Amino acid sequence: MDSLGALPQVLFSGLAAGSVYALIALAMVIIYRTTEVLNFAQGDMAMMTTYVGLAFMVAGGMPFLGAALAALAFAAVLGACAEFMLLRRAKEPSVLGLIIITLGLEMIVFGFASWKWGGEPRDMTIPLAPTDVTVVGGVIMSHLELAAIAVAALVIAALFLFLNRSKAGLAMRATQQNRPVARLMGIRVRRVEMGVWALAAVIGGSAGLLVGPAATVEPYMMWDPMMKGFAAAVLGGMTSLAGAALGGAIIGIVENLFGYYVSTAFKSVVPFAVILLMLAIKPSGLLARHYVKKV
Amino acid sequence: MLDKFRNAAAALATGLLCFAAPAQAQPAALAGVTDTEIHIGQWGPQTGPAAAWGSVARGTAMLFQMVNDAGGIHGRKIVYHMFDDQYNPARTIAGVKELVEKSPGIFGFASGVGTSPGLAVKDYLMERGIPWVGPAAGSLHWITPPQKALFALYPLYADEAKLLVRHLVEKEGKKKIAILYASDEYGENGHRGAVAEMQRFGLAPAVEVAVNQADRDLKSHVLKLKESGADAVLMWVNPTHAVITLKTAAALQFAPQWAASSTLSDVPLMQTITGGLWKNIIFASFSELPDADLPEVKKYRDAFPKYAQQGERWGVFFMAGIGFVEPMVEGLRRAGRNLTRESFIAAMESIRGYKGLMGKVSFGPGERQGQREIFLARTDDSGTRVTQLTPWAEVK
Repeated sequence: MDSLGALPQVLFSGLAAGSVYALIALAMVIIYRTTEVLNFAQGDMAMMTTYVGLAFMVAGGMPFLGAALAALAFAAVLGACAEFMLLRRAKEPSVLGLIIITLGLEMIVFGFASWKWGGEPRDMTIPLAPTDVTVVGGVIMSHLELAAIAVAALVIAALFLFLNRSKAGLAMRATQQNRPVARLMGIRVRRVEMGVWALAAVIGGSAGLLVGPAATVEPYMMWDPMMKGFAAAVLGGMTSLAGAALGGAIIGIVENLFGYYVSTAFKSVVPFAVILLMLAIKPSGLLARHYVKKV
Repeated sequence: MLDKFRNAAAALATGLLCFAAPAQAQPAALAGVTDTEIHIGQWGPQTGPAAAWGSVARGTAMLFQMVNDAGGIHGRKIVYHMFDDQYNPARTIAGVKELVEKSPGIFGFASGVGTSPGLAVKDYLMERGIPWVGPAAGSLHWITPPQKALFALYPLYADEAKLLVRHLVEKEGKKKIAILYASDEYGENGHRGAVAEMQRFGLAPAVEVAVNQADRDLKSHVLKLKESGADAVLMWVNPTHAVITLKTAAALQFAPQWAASSTLSDVPLMQTITGGLWKNIIFASFSELPDADLPEVKKYRDAFPKYAQQGERWGVFFMAGIGFVEPMVEGLRRAGRNLTRESFIAAMESIRGYKGLMGKVSFGPGERQGQREIFLARTDDSGTRVTQLTPWAEVK
């Protein structure tokens, strides 16, 4: 296979990596569009969820699917607790103050995981072995990669339906657009925000459960996906779900193309170069509307 | 008026002499050493991308505890200060400075994982003459040029690269050898050594692929290895990257002969975290094998259940924390009760042919690379049994 012949394989691998970034980006975006808070603990909350899933498998003897569902239930509780116990307790909070609280939360979660499970990497064996693959037109697709793409697609579709077709989704959108009016209309905005945090933790947690088996489970496992997910969210426009998904795919594909055709050593910095370019050309991102505040 | 000034000047001079006299009469206290204690520090990644190497610092803790339980060294107990630098040189600098500059200071540093973290503090330690024994990295930087207070043990990555390349070419008949290496000083040392040895055989690397520490997605890396048509791949990466590489290679149906640096020689760990993929791997080793039936290994293996923390695992990386520091303990013993940095350095230079958990260790005036012996081993098809392929040997 010449180097151009490898292009379909590189594109597929990029899309699979991008799916994970898209999940993190979606989690960040749904919190941001409701509360304007950037949750920098999203990655480590996903890491914690993965550890809990692994604990259900190893100590609890549960099969992967059951352990994953139990871990996602834990993620929902973790997200809700974070909002209820930390974010909500802030007195007269500014957005910056709330963002700093999420940084503190990140340190707490990381510190707890390091203390509880140690820093040594752990294996997370799932029913899909690394050698389980499907070959289509010469492109080798591992079942784990296909699962990542499928999960991302499912989450995007479910979120779209949820936000546009359900009352809870409508309440979230109303809270995002005008919090005081939403409150006057009888929407319990604090509950909505708690629900958003729980939902975001579940989506982020699903990313962690896909990253763990592909590599190792360890406290820092989500640092790189988190940064790429954040980059994807910025690229997509921070408030657009479709933008976050598209941003994830673009980041995954661009970094893999760069890694294969240009340099693996600098592959990691490419997403951030893309962001800089985007901020210079279209600061509002790919799919978000440009906000103009009336004064 | 003039007399008053003269009197005041005389009084001031007398006062200054009074203060200065005791300082001349008694030598300044040696940092990190008291009548009853010797303070020794070490950094190591307990979290972060290289956390699998964190057991090195914990192995040293067991060695020092055993020494203390046996009565210490010439009436002094070792007080061990270990900190987590996450394999981040900025944290290494901060931690080392805090230990050195806070009372009671540090007599010396033992081991310390990583070329980049070590390089970040090397000049700081050497400018102050603070002894540093057994950096847990096989870098040429420790000995080029030799430093008075720095005693290196870890065999050079360049030497293990030579041995691995020779074996792959001469014994395994490999002609297309690719190199996967971390894009830091550790990886570069192995990379350069492998390229140089391949040139000796008239070969060029099939491909040279660098890995950034932050990367968690190595598909483009492995694809490059595969597309190069390599029949063997040499690895100087951290354990997590080795896991991702093997899993990705399995998915991409790429199965070369993998050959690994000694930094990946903890077979039970690698077999566990790769989910059973650490099979038929050739690797370099700087220490005796963990299950070796040798008295120097048995001594520590038997003590391990008593001294190690719960959940700790007896393996090569833990043993390295002992082996890299045994010569330091020997040097402290030889230096005697009147411990100074000069007496310690002279004692270290007197060590010849010392055998502990590692290969033979010899230092001397101007000789600062204590261990040059390594051997190659291979895991079997189950990934659990290890066969020694070559005897302990210095690489020429």
